[in-house]
Amino acid sequence: MPDDYRQYLIRLIAMHGISEIMGALPEKEWVPRAPTLHRKLAILAKVQDELGHGQLLLRVAEDLVAPLGMNREDLLNGLFQGTIHFHNVFHMPAPTWADAGIIGWLVDGAAIITQGMLAQGSYAPYCRALERIIAEESFHIQHGESICIALAEGTRAQRQMLQEALNRWWEPLIFFFGPPPKSELTKHQDLGLMYRLRNKTNEELRQRFFHKYVPRIQALGLTIPDPNLRLDKETNTWHYTQPDWSKFKAILRNEGPMSRARLTLRHSAWEQNRWVREVLSTRAAVAV
Amino acid sequence: MADERLEYHIYEVFAQESQMAPAVHQFSLLASSPDMALILAKENFLRRQKAWSVWVVRRDHIHRTGPAEAEMFDRMDKTYRETEGYRYLKEKWRRYKQEPLTAQGMT
Ligand SMILES: [Fe+2]
Ligand SMILES: [Fe+2]
Repeated sequence: MPDDYRQYLIRLIAMHGISEIMGALPEKEWVPRAPTLHRKLAILAKVQDELGHGQLLLRVAEDLVAPLGMNREDLLNGLFQGTIHFHNVFHMPAPTWADAGIIGWLVDGAAIITQGMLAQGSYAPYCRALERIIAEESFHIQHGESICIALAEGTRAQRQMLQEALNRWWEPLIFFFGPPPKSELTKHQDLGLMYRLRNKTNEELRQRFFHKYVPRIQALGLTIPDPNLRLDKETNTWHYTQPDWSKFKAILRNEGPMSRARLTLRHSAWEQNRWVREVLSTRAAVAV
Repeated sequence: MADERLEYHIYEVFAQESQMAPAVHQFSLLASSPDMALILAKENFLRRQKAWSVWVVRRDHIHRTGPAEAEMFDRMDKTYRETEGYRYLKEKWRRYKQEPLTAQGMT
């Protein structure tokens, strides 16, 4: 395996795995506050799935770092040392129940577009993990759709809560697929294309997202907070306002709105659960 | 008496859907004991799928062939082992049912 291929995979898969775990944090806030028992069970199931995705991906990443003398603990510590980043969307706050709905519907919707492409990549162990993950993502999306449709059909206050959540998440969703071409941030993309770990650019993925979700968002009577968003029918491309990509770069440096809080939360979970890891790695001596 | 320190190992996980179903490979996991591996297997891979039985096997206890051997498997013509190689029989039977073979017909 070429070195740069391995390095690319480690970076990609470790970041993906850690992001699944970090992604559970904004949603887990809503487990105790879910409006009904059914909703509570469903969001709990989703949170558990996301942590399971983290387990699958860390397992794949672990095999890749093993020849370098590293293990899972090194990967998990990479998050605290700032060498492994977590996905930009998980640096954002989720202040209302509608945010939980938008995350399931549109953030997981965006994720499945990226993951569907990555599942056709050249590294089979990652593709096998993605196949399992994607099967569960379809449930996540419908779980999110179900929350959003219920709110859209609800009272004026509920519709407004949904609209405000969309306003909050629109820019993170544009950021989701990464910067457009000819940016200093896209060098990484080229290696992925070369090694057939991806076959679409960031912009192609974003266009797919627009094609799929803009009509659906509008069907729920919501307004997309971008007056310049429109489909050019001749070229079949969506025009949209370029967000401020320096904000995106700041998030990558863990300077997003919730970066610190989420890292602290993750760190305290890691410390508080240390005793569980200890118990699992010892067999108590039994007096005979 | 001191507590024994357990080492973590990679386990490969297989699941059988029913008594008649083959054990199908699911994925792998990291665990410090077979018990932990079985719990994680259930939690990680069988949250929805039903299973009759789950197997966990330490990866370093599995003996497997590699890509070099994979080529060897498809190198030879094996029609003599398969019904495919005996398809012409159907036509023979059809003919002889209409016109049974007789000693006279033979030279
Ligand atoms: Fe996930
Ligand atoms: Fe998900």
